[in-house]
Amino acid sequence: MSDQAIIDRVLAGDDEAFGQLVDSHHDRCTRIAFRILGNREDAEEAVQDAFLRAYRALASYEERERFQPWLTRILVNQCRTMRARTERRELVFSDLELHEGLIGSFEESSRDAWPDLDHALSRLPSEQREALVLRYADDMTYEEMSRVTGAGESALKMRVQRAFARLRTLLGEFANV
Amino acid sequence: MSDTDFEVRVVRALRAPVPARASARQLIMDRVRQIPVAERPRRSWATYGRAVRQSLIGLAFAAGIGSITTLSAIAPTGMQSARNAGVVSGVVIGDTVVNRLRDTLRLVRLMFDDTHARQVAIAGDFNAWNGQATPLHREGGSGRWTATVAMHDGDHRYAILVDNTRRPGRLHIARTTD
Repeated sequence: MSDQAIIDRVLAGDDEAFGQLVDSHHDRCTRIAFRILGNREDAEEAVQDAFLRAYRALASYEERERFQPWLTRILVNQCRTMRARTERRELVFSDLELHEGLIGSFEESSRDAWPDLDHALSRLPSEQREALVLRYADDMTYEEMSRVTGAGESALKMRVQRAFARLRTLLGEFANV
Repeated sequence: MSDTDFEVRVVRALRAPVPARASARQLIMDRVRQIPVAERPRRSWATYGRAVRQSLIGLAFAAGIGSITTLSAIAPTGMQSARNAGVVSGVVIGDTVVNRLRDTLRLVRLMFDDTHARQVAIAGDFNAWNGQATPLHREGGSGRWTATVAMHDGDHRYAILVDNTRRPGRLHIARTTD
C-alpha cells in the first residue's frame, strides 16, 4: 500500500494505519538522526518526536509532495532542535566528559568497522554534517536536500565537498595519535 | 587511500544500518494512541467540494469501468439486498466488468439514514480509506443519503463520516441469485 493510501486511511479515522508508516520509515529516520546527532538516545527522541509531529500535521500534508521528504524535513528540524539542546549541554560538561560519552555511544550503536568516522563526524560543523548525511546516508538529490534544508543546491554541494576534506584531515589526525 | 576510495568508504559507513531498540516503534504508536481524539488529524470538510466532483468520474476512469450510466437499465433485474448489521445498507444494482483488471465488481448503492446530518461520506477498504472519495448525497428533502460504489463480493470494513464524527461498521456484499 502506498504512503498516500495509508495517510488517507489515517485521515478517515483508522489511526492504527499510522503504524505502517512508522514501520516503513523508522529505520531510515533512525539512521539519519543518529548520523546527524551522534548519540543514540538523542536520535531516538528526535525520531519519536518527528513521527508525532508528522502524525499531528497529517491533515495539512499536501498530496502533491512525497511523504518521505516531508517527513525528513520534520526530522531534520527536530534534529536541529535537539542539537541546540546538546550544545547547551556541552557548556555544562567538560570536553573530556563529552568526548568519552560520545565514544561510548558510538561503540555501543554502530556496527560498521569505522568508529573513528563517527568521532570525526561529531567534529564537523553542523551544516556540513547535515548535508553529508542527507546526501549519502539517505541518498537524497541536491534538489531534495534544498527543499528539506532551505539551503541552495550550490551551497549544499560546497558543504558536502568541504565535509569530505575535513573528514579526511580529522581521520588522518586520529590515525597519527 | 585515494580520494575516491576514501569517499566510497565514508558513504558505505554512513549507509550502515543503525539498530534501534525493538520497542522504539511501539513507543511511537503508544504516544499516538494517547493523543486526545479531538486533536487527531482528520480530512478537512473544506476539501469535499473537489471530492464530490471527482468521486464517481474518478472511480469509473480508475477502474476502467465501461459505463455507469447503464445503472438504471440493469438495476431492476440485478437488485439484491445486502443489508448489514450497522447503519449503512447496500443494494447490489448490477455488475460491471473492469477490463483493465479482468475482474467483475458489484455496483452497490449505499444508503444511510440521518435526517439531521449536514455532510456524509464513507471511507473503507473499497476506496483505500479515502474520506474524500465517496461522499453520500441527500435524496431530495428526505433523511436518506446515498452513493454508488463498485466493490468486490465479500465482507468490507468501513467508517461512515457524519459531520466530523465517524462510526465504524461492516458490510457484506453478495449476489444471492442470478
